[in-house]
Order: sequence, then structure tokens, then C-alpha cells
Amino acid sequence: MNFSLYKQMMKVNMKGVMNYAVGAAFYIFLVVWIYPSMEKTAKPLNDMLNAMPAGMTKAFNLQNGFGSFESFISGEFYGLLFTLIVSIFCVMIPTQLMAKLVDQGSMAYLLSTPTTRGKVAFTQASVFLTGLFLISAITTACGILGVRIFIDANSFHADRFIQLNLAAFALFVALGGISFLVSSLSNDEKKAMGTSGMIIFGFYSLDIIGKISEKVDWLRDFTIFTLYKPAEVVNGKGDLLQNCIILFAVGLIAFIVSILVFRKRDLPL
Amino acid sequence: MLTVQNLTKKFSNGKGIFDVSFSVKKGEVFGFLGPNGAGKSTTIRHIMGFMKPDQGYVKVNGLDTWQKQGEVQKYIGYLPGEIAFIEGMTGKGFLDFMAELQGVRDLSKRNELIERLQFDINTPIRKMSKGMKQKVGIVAAFMHDPEVIILDEPTSGLDPLMQKVFIEIVLEEKAKGKTFLMSSHSFPEIERTCDRAAIIKDGIVIAVKDIHELQSMQRKLFEVTFNNKEDAKTFLNSSLQIDSYEGNRVRVAIQGNYDSFIEETAKYHVRNIAIFTQNLEDVFMNYYDRSGASK
Repeated sequence: MNFSLYKQMMKVNMKGVMNYAVGAAFYIFLVVWIYPSMEKTAKPLNDMLNAMPAGMTKAFNLQNGFGSFESFISGEFYGLLFTLIVSIFCVMIPTQLMAKLVDQGSMAYLLSTPTTRGKVAFTQASVFLTGLFLISAITTACGILGVRIFIDANSFHADRFIQLNLAAFALFVALGGISFLVSSLSNDEKKAMGTSGMIIFGFYSLDIIGKISEKVDWLRDFTIFTLYKPAEVVNGKGDLLQNCIILFAVGLIAFIVSILVFRKRDLPL
Repeated sequence: MLTVQNLTKKFSNGKGIFDVSFSVKKGEVFGFLGPNGAGKSTTIRHIMGFMKPDQGYVKVNGLDTWQKQGEVQKYIGYLPGEIAFIEGMTGKGFLDFMAELQGVRDLSKRNELIERLQFDINTPIRKMSKGMKQKVGIVAAFMHDPEVIILDEPTSGLDPLMQKVFIEIVLEEKAKGKTFLMSSHSFPEIERTCDRAAIIKDGIVIAVKDIHELQSMQRKLFEVTFNNKEDAKTFLNSSLQIDSYEGNRVRVAIQGNYDSFIEETAKYHVRNIAIFTQNLEDVFMNYYDRSGASK
């Protein structure tokens, strides 16, 4: 870990991180705010959901219906919006932290000082994880705050809500790790972004397609999104702990491999 | 101080550097010359430890630059050929950041360099001109007072006055016993600073020469304008090598034989003499031709 680099990189990337955090916080406020009005019409909405093919509701994590706040937020926000916003973050920031510096050549300056490549890669990974943590923490805090303001707090299961955020954080650590690995291997910023974008949104699509049609359910064996089940987390079903451990492990391994390959790689600086 | 030994790196497209060897003594300024794509940058990347050699090694201060990454950099100052800074910083912000990474506490050297190169350090980097970025890069390469300084095309983008200042700085550091490796296209710059130079072409070092030897290899073209055409005609018959002529203007190629050139031209009334210094590319081509012919 190189603290000067960490400080500098946080400064450079803070604006980007805050944009995503503010965006996510804004959306969760919005979703929490509209919930009371949705609740009144929950029955007709649930009837409509029941009328839809089961695959469709499952694909967009709406199988819990709109009956309770947690099921509503797990479907509307954690099942879709938040996943998309932070997935984009998981593609963009790792690309900027590694591949961009190599592509532009500014990595030459970092490596011309008495620091090792391992330390540089580790520091950049820490910058990403700090950013991701900030986004998750701010979103969680705003969610809880929103509930206090707009909704009768008695029916709110804060523990389930925090578990939901933990599950999402685990997913993003894994996605970010994969993207960071691609970024550490790339000399070209655009290619790095394209490749990790394809992998992550490929995973996402496999998950959705697998859910829509029973016939291609096996597709879901090939995507880590399968391990992220917001609808089950809020119901207290499923194996949250095991899924989180696997996702964190995927992320951890990806970050370690990234550091190792970056240490041994030829850099065209 | 700096040793490059049997350095070989082959790229998938067949290009690369092959069996490059030279060494630079402490207090020496070593030039590294060659046309674009000859392998100068690839060699420098190996010296900086950015690439792993297929064969051979580079040692700075006795430390292998690939294996001792992070340690060997304590002794090295580096000016990249293509300057790219981290975005969103001012010149001062960048230099402060580099000073932290380099572990520099004493900023007097940095301030002195900024003073001499005359630039405003508070300018955001994205608004800087090429020359200004180059100045920031030069300060970053020198400010931690390294033993060995690697400069890739150091004066590109600098105006002639600043080129002169830069050469002065190099000569002062040299007098203090600093070791330099400098790649360049500009012969005058190499001429004024370097003790020896290596010429590289197609990834192979074809010569490591004393700078005086290189100077004598350099061919210069003089364009002499005579007062009248008859003089020009008779001048053509002299023993000098004539490059071309038109009316009362004659172009003469001179390579070391300045005496006979002056003797010959002094016989006539001369209206003007203009000099065309051969660029390095031409010096090389000349050199390659001769070495090719002698085989």
C-alpha cells in the first residue's frame, strides 16, 4: 500500500464515486417515497404481476410482489436500478484505475518512483473498494433515512435491509474484481472497458434469460448474478451467508490474480 | 553505473531489440541515437524495468532493474518520451505528489529548477502546452537528485532558449558526477552534452562511438552563392564534393575537410554562405551505407 498514491487517487476519483453515490441515494429516496402510494394499490398491482408469466416477474426480481416495503425495494431498487448503476461503476472505475494509466502512460511516472508494481496495483484496488464501500454505505444510510421520513417504521425490518445491502456489496466486489483483472491485463483503456462491460452485462443477461425461460435455466449456472437473490434475502430464505462468501472469494481471488499478473507483465510505457 | 548486457526482446511481430550491450560509466553522458522505431524506447523500457527481457539484463548501480523494482528506482530519474500526467492536477499538485512518492523532503532543488525553466506551476496540466509539460517532466526527473538520469527525447517541445537552459542543467549535473542516458534526434543536443553515443538501428546496436568520431562522420551541406555565374562554374571543377548547383548557387558537401572548402571558396567573391546541417537521420543513413558497402 502506498498512502501518497492512495490519497491522490481518492482525490482524483472522489468526484466520480460521489456521482454514483448521489445517483444511487437519489433513486432510493425516490423509490422509498413512492412506496406509500404504491402500497394502496398493491392488490391490483399484485394481481397484474400474477397475471404475468412467472419467468418475467422472476427475471426482474418482482416475484415478491408489492406487498411489503422490503419486497418492493428488493424488486424495484436492488433487483434492477441499483444493480445497473453500480455495475456500471464496476466497469468504469477499475478501467480508469489501471488500464487508463497504462494506456495514457502516466503509469510510467508511478513506476519510476521507489514503489513496486505490486504496491501500485494493491493501492488502486483499495481505491476501488473504498469507493464501492462509500457508495454502498451512503445508499444504505439514505435508505434507512428515507424509511424514517416517508414510511411507518414499525413494519420495517432494518436487519433484512442491511443484509440486502451486504448481498449487493458482495456481488459488486466480485464484479469489480473481474473488471479489475481485465483492466490489469490491458494496455488499451477502450478494450479493457469493452471487455469488462461485455463480461459483466453478459453475466447479467444470462441471469435474466435463464430466469425468463425454464428451458434455458442452465444458463444461470454460468453467471455469478445467480448468487445475488434480493427477493430471497428480504424473505429470509436462501443461503445468504454462503452466497456472500462465494462472491467475496471470487472478488478476492480476482484482485490477487490482478496484482500478480500486473507484477510480471510487460508494460508498453 | 548503468550496464546493458546482451539485452534481447523479441515481439510477436518480429521486431524488437537484439543482443544490445553497452555500459555507461559514472559521470558520463551517454547518447542513444537512432531513427524512429529502431528500439530506443524499448531499450529504455527495459532500463526502467517496465519490460522483462527475453535474454540479458540491465543493471543500474549493480541492481537488476527487472528484479529489483521499487529499489533500483531510488537511484533513477526518468523523463518519459511521451509525457502523460495524471489528470485533474496542476503542475504543483503533480510535483508535490511525485516528491511524496520519491520521498523528497528538501524542495530547494525543485524550486531552483522551476525558477530556471520559468514556468507557472499553478497551471492545470490539461491547459499546458507541450513545452510546459516537458518542463514539468524535467523537474520531476531531476528534483530528487538521482544518481542516474534517463531522458527520452528531452528537448522536444522546448524553445531554443530553454533547450540551452536544459543543456546547461545537464552539464552542471554531469560535473557533479551524475550519470546520464539520453535518447535524441537532435544532433546539436547530443553534440554539446554527450561523451559517447550508441547508434541503434532495427534493434541492433551498430556502433558505440566517441562523440568526436561521430562529429567527423557528420556531413554538412554549404550553399555558396557566388557573385557571378562564371565563378560558380569554375568552382565546380574543384576537388570538393558538389551536391547540386543552379545558376550562381552551389551546394557543397563537407565532411571534415573544412580547410580545403575555405581555401577554395576564398578564391572568389562570395555573396552568401548558408549551412544545412544534416539531420541525424541522414547521418545514420550515410553511416549505414558506408558500413553496408564495406562488408
